Amino acid sequence: MDKKTLIHDTQVKQGAKMVEFAGWEMPVQFSGIIDEHNTVRNALGLFDVSHMGEFFVSGKDSLNFLETLVPQQVSSLTDGKAVYCQLLNDKGGCVDDLIIYKLSDLNYLLIVNASGVEVDFNFIASRKGNFEVKLENKSDEYSLLALQGPKASDLIQDLGISKSEQPLSFYIKPAKLFGVDVLLSRTGYTGEDGFEIMMKNEHAVDFWNNLLKEGAKYGIKPIGLGARDTLRLEAAMPLYGNDLSNDISPVEAGLSWSIPKEKKENYTAKDIIFSQLQNGVKKKLIGLVMIDRAIARHEYEIYYNGKQIGHISSGCYSPTTAKNIAMGYIDTSYGLKVGDSVEVMVRNKLYKAEIVKRPFITKRNKV
Amino acid sequence: MELPEELLCSKTHEFVYPENGNYVIGLTDYAVEQLGDIVFVELPSVDTEFQKGDVFGTVESVKAASEIYMPVGGKVVEINEQLIEQPELLNESPMDRAWLIKIEASSYAEDSQDLMEYDNYKDEVE
Repeated sequence: MDKKTLIHDTQVKQGAKMVEFAGWEMPVQFSGIIDEHNTVRNALGLFDVSHMGEFFVSGKDSLNFLETLVPQQVSSLTDGKAVYCQLLNDKGGCVDDLIIYKLSDLNYLLIVNASGVEVDFNFIASRKGNFEVKLENKSDEYSLLALQGPKASDLIQDLGISKSEQPLSFYIKPAKLFGVDVLLSRTGYTGEDGFEIMMKNEHAVDFWNNLLKEGAKYGIKPIGLGARDTLRLEAAMPLYGNDLSNDISPVEAGLSWSIPKEKKENYTAKDIIFSQLQNGVKKKLIGLVMIDRAIARHEYEIYYNGKQIGHISSGCYSPTTAKNIAMGYIDTSYGLKVGDSVEVMVRNKLYKAEIVKRPFITKRNKV
Repeated sequence: MELPEELLCSKTHEFVYPENGNYVIGLTDYAVEQLGDIVFVELPSVDTEFQKGDVFGTVESVKAASEIYMPVGGKVVEINEQLIEQPELLNESPMDRAWLIKIEASSYAEDSQDLMEYDNYKDEVE
């Protein structure tokens, strides 16, 4: 049977339509995907992302251990700083993508995808070796809410944390909201400014309802996974399982910005990653806007001059741009670049699409 | 909204009713509600002939593409062009202004035998 977050029953009463996602029964929509999407872009939305995983890495060797797991330079993190990175397998493929938060010198928080909770934890544990670290999977103890949209900072200020005290983009800090101790981070998966709020499970339902009540003056709405997907795709953020997998390296996925070239420490598959950075890759992620009237979807084939050269990894109607957008992987040997045309096979017919720059919208999440 | 008296529905959520000797085909309000925001509609060309059960078009919501099936066989005589430009009409008015195609039925009496009246259809799907 699918797992349920603590807020599940409340969400059903609030009109959520539920679907299965990564072993969880989660809300796919409340008022409607397009309405929810626009609410996050223009005002404020509240997501329950308690299905995601929370790991703690602590102890003497925390930093050295984490450096071996990800391409990012973990030692560059100051207290409270967060960084987006990937767990790599021995071939340089992505076991998962995640955010590492430095809470203090010997204490790090890792937030991973719901689909990765077991896989990632086992993977990380298997690499522990002789490092003196304590690994804890506390996913079942914590709930996670995401408050996203241009009014997020205003609402957090109303709740007693002034803008100057709020964490900046990609920072986390302990805070008290509604009298509850939480971890408040300036991160998200929408391309908008916003926060993620992590709390013990027993506070989740009250927290959810309180945020909806206090946010009412900004037009806050509960948001489902449907709009979460269209929001993240407009911002060209990868979805593990679609745009990232065990067979895709972060270099191929266009995530080279998250791989510091000067990192001295060794990490899994570093030689493969560096060789890809230096010599190029066989396939790479591109952004597409459909020119012809059709929607490209996950796994549809991409063609160039009558030959299949790749496939779509994610695609949808983009409410913000009113265009049909997609990301996909293509063979790099054709030398295709932004501005070039390809075709996408939709129901046995080819439809024209143009390679465009990512993201598809201007991100507004830099504070 | 008043439904046409002779409207019938298929298990795959299409409706059909007679109009001036032809038949109007569309998607039920229940189906549209389940799909959510419709953002794309693909319909066949006029004069295309279909058997009962054939896929004659596609509707796409934000999330996914769904095929639509002929509740009865026949030849397409008209398509609802407005839906191509305004797919959201399907959400607003699924069983009225957002009809999909009109057909000249080939063997309506036989093809319609397993179709249900709207009330029975609703009981079945809900």
